[in-house]
Amino acid sequence: MDKVGIPRNIFYYYDKDIVETFLSELKIPYIVSPHTNKKILEDGLKLASDEMCLSFKIYLGHINYLKDKCDYVFVPRMCNLGSDNQMCTNFMSAYDIVNNLFDIKILNYDIDYDSKHFLKKGLFKIANELKCPSGKIRKAYKVALKTYKDKKKREISINEGNLKNNKIKILIVGHPYNVYDDFIGSSIIKYLKQNDVEVIFSDRFDSEITNKLSKKISKELYFKFSKENIGSIIYAKDKIDGVIFLSTFPCAPDSLVTEITERSIDIPNINLIIDDNASFAGLETRLESFLDVLKERKND
Amino acid sequence: MKDCYLGVDIGSISTKGVIIDDENNIIVSDYIWTEGSPTKAATKLVSILKDRLPENCVIKGIGTTGSARKLVGLLLDANIVKNEITAHAVGTLTFYPDVRTILEIGGQDSKIIILENGIITNYAMNTLCAAGTGAFLSSQAKRLGIEINDFGTYALKSKNPTKIAARCTVFAESDLVHKAQVGYLKEDIIAGLCKSVVLNYLNNVAKGKKIKTPIIFQGGVSKNKGVVKYFREVLNEDVIVDENGHLMGAIGIAVLARKNKIGKTYSLNVKNIKFETKARECLGCSNNCELLKVYKNNELIDSFGSKCGKF
Repeated sequence: MDKVGIPRNIFYYYDKDIVETFLSELKIPYIVSPHTNKKILEDGLKLASDEMCLSFKIYLGHINYLKDKCDYVFVPRMCNLGSDNQMCTNFMSAYDIVNNLFDIKILNYDIDYDSKHFLKKGLFKIANELKCPSGKIRKAYKVALKTYKDKKKREISINEGNLKNNKIKILIVGHPYNVYDDFIGSSIIKYLKQNDVEVIFSDRFDSEITNKLSKKISKELYFKFSKENIGSIIYAKDKIDGVIFLSTFPCAPDSLVTEITERSIDIPNINLIIDDNASFAGLETRLESFLDVLKERKND
Repeated sequence: MKDCYLGVDIGSISTKGVIIDDENNIIVSDYIWTEGSPTKAATKLVSILKDRLPENCVIKGIGTTGSARKLVGLLLDANIVKNEITAHAVGTLTFYPDVRTILEIGGQDSKIIILENGIITNYAMNTLCAAGTGAFLSSQAKRLGIEINDFGTYALKSKNPTKIAARCTVFAESDLVHKAQVGYLKEDIIAGLCKSVVLNYLNNVAKGKKIKTPIIFQGGVSKNKGVVKYFREVLNEDVIVDENGHLMGAIGIAVLARKNKIGKTYSLNVKNIKFETKARECLGCSNNCELLKVYKNNELIDSFGSKCGKF
């Protein structure tokens, strides 16, 4: 049977529970690329054009890792979840870029609510392409969706629970593909946890609530994930001690949204922008001093 | 005998050292160029301070700060190693308890610290870009063929500063060459550069933060009279430059060394310590971490740079 490769970046942190459960329910073998390492990063840098963001460069490195280890690489296209919930251009162009750069078979679906392309339709499409018996697809879809929803609910309740902790609480505002990536966010989270900080994640809240709350900072926001990120600040603002904005270089939406948000909130915050030369020494100075600030404020 | 505390601030460009007593009086202080070798600079500086130290003083605490704080902290066996932001704030508060804003431009980074009732409430540091820091100014001084120490004096001569695009070091440099070739006066270009440093700082580092008086400007660039002038002009407020401004980080870390003393007495005999670092690339996994091992008198005391924590 054909084997599917799933790159561990960009889309992965949004849809992994759905896609992985769906594939295993249908007994389709798949592999996930390993956590980002230097080799993956360097391959990505070579393949990508200069203007792409670090996260997308890493994504291409993951595809490169998978290209001769499976029959299909899974690369969706995500365009929008309704006209006022747009995705960034990388999410829209990933399929075309990968198709142009690599000589591989791609497993793809299109999420574009404006054109009535929903997740269900997409998953059914890939199951048909992989020649799965049609009787099993509906059930696999149901199980996948339930697994995803349950997991999300658990994550949200842990995040909400952590908000009640007495430790110093820092909200990490960033996209999951940056926050949870081994090259970008992991070292930061690790450092914070070592220093007895409760880390709260901006993507682990009810996105319907955070999406609406973002209007309190700006009504002009365009991108879905920007809205949810900054909505989480409004949601948690009375329970957190500080905010860390985490993004990669260059990210147009983040550079703008962070700027607007920094000017309109009165919680201590720092903005960390990671590029491929980032050394932890510079980050450590910023994190250590930020923690000093938060501790002093808390003791005051 | 008098208890004293040593603070060393090892920056990218210069290394500053100070010894204070229990009442925060500066007993001795000095600063020298780092010249790319933080341990050598620190050893030299500590030896200088030791020679000048009155005989009745004993060192009861050592602190290190600045970008080489960890390495030099190991060399000197410091009882506290802290980042430069905290050190600068503590040092400045020792002399100016009511300070509300600290502007700091150093060799490779710049920061703004906002304080309220003696507590840091917010701060920011330059992110990826080093435009407008000391290193940028000294490279431009070299290009224009003048000493960096004379930079400020030149700038003050100008009556009509040239506009320099300072968004980015690379663009600033080509703009500067262009302006010089077209025939603008050297002092006008220099004044323009100083002004652009101020504007760049306010736009990129301070962005939107409320700058309230008393304002203190420090770091190496605060020695540049031109930059100070334009800070006062643009902010339309008084900007205090302390003659010991460059020492504030060192003083701050010395104060912290006192607060965290462990009852040990230090000799400051660092000249004869054999201190070595060895770098190698680990081939254990595909991360290829650059490891740095630190040896003191041939004994491995620490290593940096390992992602997995194996070393």
